[in-house]
Parts: sequence; C-alpha cells; structure tokens
Amino acid sequence: MSMHLKVALVDDDIPNTEVLRDFLIRNGYSHVDKYHDGESFLESLDRFDERAVVLDFDLSGGGDLNGLEVLEAIKERSPSTHVIFFSGQDSLEVAVESLKNGADDYIVKSNASFALVKTSLDKVYDLQVLRTSEKRSQRVSLILAIGWVTTLAVVAYFLAGS
Amino acid sequence: MEIIERLSAGDPEKKKYYIRLFLDTMEPELVNLRGADITAHQEPIRAILHKLKSQVQTIGAKDAHALMAEQEQCIKEGGRIEQEELERTCQALSDLIENLQELLK
Repeated sequence: MSMHLKVALVDDDIPNTEVLRDFLIRNGYSHVDKYHDGESFLESLDRFDERAVVLDFDLSGGGDLNGLEVLEAIKERSPSTHVIFFSGQDSLEVAVESLKNGADDYIVKSNASFALVKTSLDKVYDLQVLRTSEKRSQRVSLILAIGWVTTLAVVAYFLAGS
Repeated sequence: MEIIERLSAGDPEKKKYYIRLFLDTMEPELVNLRGADITAHQEPIRAILHKLKSQVQTIGAKDAHALMAEQEQCIKEGGRIEQEELERTCQALSDLIENLQELLK
C-alpha cells in the first residue's frame, strides 16, 4: 500500500538514515527526504509543510542546532507539522522535553526502532486521513446547508410574489 | 545485519552498497578513536561513541554496541574511561570493520 504522507528524516547519521529511508520506501512511504543537519531542513520548511518529520536529538555531526532546538523552530513556523523524535539518547529528560514541546512520539534507537518509526508514521498518516475526511464532510454539510437556504429563499420569493 | 539482508533482498550489489556506507563512517571514526587523547576532555570521544553506537546496532554487533553504550553513558555522567577500555572498543570496532570488509570481497 502506498502512503500519501511525505516524510523528512533529519539525522546526522548518514548510513542509518539511508537504511531507514529505504526501509520506509519499501514499506509504502514513497516520498522520503533526508537532511543531515537541522539548519538545511529548516531552510526547506514552509508554513503549511505537510511532511511528518523524524528528528534525531544529537545532530552535532551535522550542524549547530540540536533536535530540541529544531523542534522548537518547526513548531514556531509550522505548528501542524508532526514530529517524531528518534534518538539514541535513552533520556527521560529529553523525552519529556520533546513531548512537552509538541513532538508526537519519542522513539529510542534500537534493533526494532525502524519498525517503531513506521508504526508511528502510520498513526500520523491515519490522523491525516481522518482530518481530511472530517474536512470533506464539513464541506459537504456546508454545501447542503447553502443549497437548502437557497431553495427556501427561492420558494419564499415565489410565495411572496403569488 | 538482518535489516540490511532484508532491504537488499538477495541483491549482492545492494548489500555491498549498504556495507560501504557503514564502512565510510566507521573507518575514519576508528582512526579518530585511536588518536583520541584519553587524558584530555572526553566529550569528543563520547560524540564518536554515540555516533558509532547506532551504526553497530544496525549491523547487529551486540557486544560492540553494549561496550560503546556503556562508555558513552559513563562519560555523559561525568566519569572518565581508561585507555584499556578505549582499546577494547577500538578492537571490537576493528574486528567489525574487518568482517564487513570480508563481506565486500
């Protein structure tokens, strides 16, 4: 099944990012971008960015910003962007801080972590599908309401004229 | 190696591509670890161990991963690692690199 959710991987670990990207592509995520530092990712971020971001905490091999600083900048610029923290830091403090600052999930890198990232992205995808269908049904309700009001207005007009 | 085996799905060239990717990071970092000044501030050593830790885990080298995780944690908590401990890590990494290089032949 192909997922219509775009994903951005932000991690200074080049080989693992490449392997994770291929893993996600193989599991249905056809659009996966990769960035090896927070700065280049933030340059690519726009206000209505629809990508889900898988973000490492320790980005010291790439740039000056750490994952929490990147998360803060993402939430400032594009609050609706989903962020999954993916870190080698098994630290409660970092986990709490990231979730407090709006991360959707916190995954510690382990043997099973690629599968966990996929599961977390699947949840984000399901949420997006749900929101899209909610918006669609709201739009349909609005169109129906306008239709009814228009019909009533026309009927009232003719009744008033007769 | 399970994830790499699965992703390369029997394609030997793809498998070699992944192995080269890991070697490209591991080989220079082994040189950096061997050249690290153990008597100085150990944060640069911690940063290398942190980086390598995830990679050796993906490769499936459990012992090397455990060693690196333990030493990274020690430095993170303000402790210091000794020369012999660092040498053990370098040896584990060197063995792993050798195994990976064998797979490329």
